[in-house]
Amino acid sequence: MLLKDQAGLEALRSGLIAGPKPTRRLWVCGGPGCLASGAAKIQEALVREAKGQGLNFEIEFRADLTGCLGLCEKGPLVGVEPEGFLLEKVALADCPELVFETLRHGRPIERLLAARDRFKSHPFYQPQVRQITRRFGQTVPGSLTDYLKTGGYKALGLALTTLSPAEVSLMVERSDLRGRGGGGFPAGRKWASCRLAPGSVKYVLANGDEGDPGAFMNRSLMEGDPFSVIEGMTLGAYAVGASKGFIYVRHEYPLSVERLNRAIQSAEKSGLLGRNILGGSFGFSLEIVEGGGAFVCGESSALMASVEGREGQPRVKYVRSTEKGLWEAPTLLQNVETWANVPLIVENGHEWFKGQGTSQNPGTKVFCLVGQVRRSGLVEMPLGSAIRKLVFDVGGGTGAGRSFKAVQIGGPSGGCLPDSALDLPLDFDNLSSAGAIMGSGGLIVMDDLSCMVDVARYFTGFLMGESCGKCSPCREGLTLLYRILDALCQGRGRSGDTQKLKKLATLLSKTALCGLGQSAANPLLSTLRYFEAEYLEHENEGFCRAGRCQGLFWPRIDQELCSGCGLCRKACPAQAISGQKNKPHKIDLANCLSCGACLSVCRFGAAKAARKDS
Amino acid sequence: MPHTLPKVTGTIDGLKFEVSPGTTLLEAAKTLGITIPTLCHHPGLPPDGNCRLCLVESGKKLLPSCVFPLRESGGAFSTQSPMVFEARAFVVTLLLSRAPKDKNLLKLAEVYGAQADPLLSDGEDGCLRCARCVRACRAGGSEAIALIGRSRERKVAGPFFEPPIDCVGCLACARSCPTGVIAFGEEPRSIWGRDFDLVKCPRCGRPIGTPEELKRAGLTDPLCPDCRRREFSASLLELPEASFTGY
Amino acid sequence: MNSVESQVMVILGARPREARHLLAILQEIQAAFRYLPKEALLIVAGALGISAARVFSVAGFYKALSFTPKGERLLTVCQGTACHLRGSGKLIESLQSRLGFKIGQSSSDGRLGLESVNCLGACALAPVATVDGAVHGHLTPEKALELI
Repeated sequence: MLLKDQAGLEALRSGLIAGPKPTRRLWVCGGPGCLASGAAKIQEALVREAKGQGLNFEIEFRADLTGCLGLCEKGPLVGVEPEGFLLEKVALADCPELVFETLRHGRPIERLLAARDRFKSHPFYQPQVRQITRRFGQTVPGSLTDYLKTGGYKALGLALTTLSPAEVSLMVERSDLRGRGGGGFPAGRKWASCRLAPGSVKYVLANGDEGDPGAFMNRSLMEGDPFSVIEGMTLGAYAVGASKGFIYVRHEYPLSVERLNRAIQSAEKSGLLGRNILGGSFGFSLEIVEGGGAFVCGESSALMASVEGREGQPRVKYVRSTEKGLWEAPTLLQNVETWANVPLIVENGHEWFKGQGTSQNPGTKVFCLVGQVRRSGLVEMPLGSAIRKLVFDVGGGTGAGRSFKAVQIGGPSGGCLPDSALDLPLDFDNLSSAGAIMGSGGLIVMDDLSCMVDVARYFTGFLMGESCGKCSPCREGLTLLYRILDALCQGRGRSGDTQKLKKLATLLSKTALCGLGQSAANPLLSTLRYFEAEYLEHENEGFCRAGRCQGLFWPRIDQELCSGCGLCRKACPAQAISGQKNKPHKIDLANCLSCGACLSVCRFGAAKAARKDS
Repeated sequence: MPHTLPKVTGTIDGLKFEVSPGTTLLEAAKTLGITIPTLCHHPGLPPDGNCRLCLVESGKKLLPSCVFPLRESGGAFSTQSPMVFEARAFVVTLLLSRAPKDKNLLKLAEVYGAQADPLLSDGEDGCLRCARCVRACRAGGSEAIALIGRSRERKVAGPFFEPPIDCVGCLACARSCPTGVIAFGEEPRSIWGRDFDLVKCPRCGRPIGTPEELKRAGLTDPLCPDCRRREFSASLLELPEASFTGY
Repeated sequence: MNSVESQVMVILGARPREARHLLAILQEIQAAFRYLPKEALLIVAGALGISAARVFSVAGFYKALSFTPKGERLLTVCQGTACHLRGSGKLIESLQSRLGFKIGQSSSDGRLGLESVNCLGACALAPVATVDGAVHGHLTPEKALELI
């Protein structure tokens, strides 16, 4: 139905909230990880089963897909409402029992039970503060009804009836919200600059080109709560005087495009987007632009070039895009997560927003905790939480027999921090002084089997392939750095390579044209800063202590620690390991390929990398 | 009264400059007689700032002088600091991997003590990817060639890596190339694997340009500039009252 | 009108003829033909009033677009950081040697293509790959080959 004013909106909301509520509901996680483990099929099976068991489905009982429930490692996940159970690793075969026991009678299935009340008792959830992700597990993504029931569009209704554009902008300025996509630039400064910039045509733009490998928070947000991004952008457009907006979505995220498009259409039908929003004079339309598979398009000037239908090439410019952006018009560009914070600020006020996080870094941040950690997934924490809390309390630390080595934060423009940095508060300023960046919030945990030279090679190789090729330092320099790193990882390093890398990487960051080029050496510089010894071992001794670089170590089995479980014997591709069950195993080096397979399967830390001459 | 903006002042290598706002750092240096090495920069083309040779230091940061606009007074810039020197050596090292035999680059290499790195020896095609040719083509009104691809694979080419269909044979690309790597023939006219006819001046027989070029320029009167000037002055004499008759 | 031309005209008809839609149009052509035929790009350049060089440079810049046909079925292996740490490099090596062609190439009959992607956002299940868009986790070379 077409909403004509705020009163109509609030009446609709009250009606929806007072309407019939299902007695019990299963929420099947529709996050990227669970979808990959077959969550959509589980949801379909639950629906089929519930109908087959003759439940009063869709009225009394429901089973729907929802936004990412977070604990991706244990998917497919199912949340149970109102009890709050969290069930993990649900299989198709579990569905009949799940419908009979859990949906019908509210009894959990013990073997699948991860938590009785996940927010109170589960270590993964207990330290979290879910603001941006609050609708995950409570709403069907892209359902306007669910969005309204959970307070959606309250902020827009409020703004259009009681606040001037300048007042909305002022709320964001006073909230001290910082951009969630990179270096944490104060959002309010952009808002004020764009609002005051002369021009009758202005644009708002959302960056959903989440290109960092190991990061899926923007995807989870666009797919889990698309309306929050749309409402945030509508508020931004009202504040700065824009009537057109674009959401730039990464090519690899077709589901994000689909959910955002569906949400845009239903907002248009209800008068929440389009010419006369909520019956007033303010109009705003929104369009999705799908990226083409280029990491550099996350850079603001390249992103704008891409929206204009050009190559995603960054431009040298000394004019802010809030003054001259898309088609030379004032443009307010923010990350999708930054936009999703806006309705919260407008609805609850800037003082409320500052209640989370630290004074310089207010609010929460969504992180992706992945890599060699026990519980990986999507996490939301107040800014300023210690890195240790995320890695060890939420993530449960590294796997059995392994020890923590580093956490890579901020994607390819970020850096690797060692255990001495674990007590650092996770905020924009602390991360950047430690040599990493917040980036969009990817945390990749690395254990002692991760070689830091290999990690630097990985990121440098990634960026080498993604360099747009415009400026010479990035285009040629990254290739040079990569080749030196590659030689080191293959035992062909030359004396002085570590020093040479340090010098070249520093020069690259000083001379490159755009922000991506200038930060492209960060993975290299941060590993050199904290793990120089590993570089020197590769350079001088041809030794990889992590047992990662093939041929640069011999595996050894510590006879004291070996339990004789036989995992390494089974994993060895060269049949070089022998031993009887429950007795310490041995490696025949004559047949060993030095591939490291035994190291990665050992759960007791008994298989170790040793110097070749030892 | 025309509104004149106050001048921007500052120093480069300790020398004071005073320029109109918006003047680039490179132009300001020129007014002081300070030379900054450039490569992708061409005074007749829009600046691009891609080669990074003209970097200048300001407060621990490096700025590309060919595109950096001076808007605020009080800046102090150095074109000679150790950081600038190191940065230029780095850029020359990288560019040498593309054109190790180019005379200008070799001269710069000598000044900055740079050497080609053997690890990058597989890309020697003489092209620095400075995009002067592409910008010259666009400035001339065509868009026949472009830089295609990304990373180190990026190179100048016509559409589909074929002889460019929109090329008019004006040679602006070849003439703006800093390393002279774009092969062309003046007479007979050929470039990018295409051959062009030449329209000759009906008076003196000198070639004026290719038919495509003249068409793009909207020239219907195909005389060479010299003959046109001569014809024009002759036409003045033929006008009535052209001689001194008023006395 | 031949079939390329008629299909391109349908794609062009779906939105205003503005240069800003170039990338979207090229993506639809890629989806329709599994590559970008030269003929199609020339029609697009004419229809949008932009140079062939500009169309070609945009087509050559984005990884989702290709000048040679991609396989009918695509096995796309993730090379994200989490996948790298959990052995996607060895997975790719093994797939390349068993299939007899490399990342970015297709089988000689054009039926199967092998691709890589920077991250699929399913890091918790690393290493992952997609087959025709459906994501599969905790992959080994054997499991990946079974999928196709």
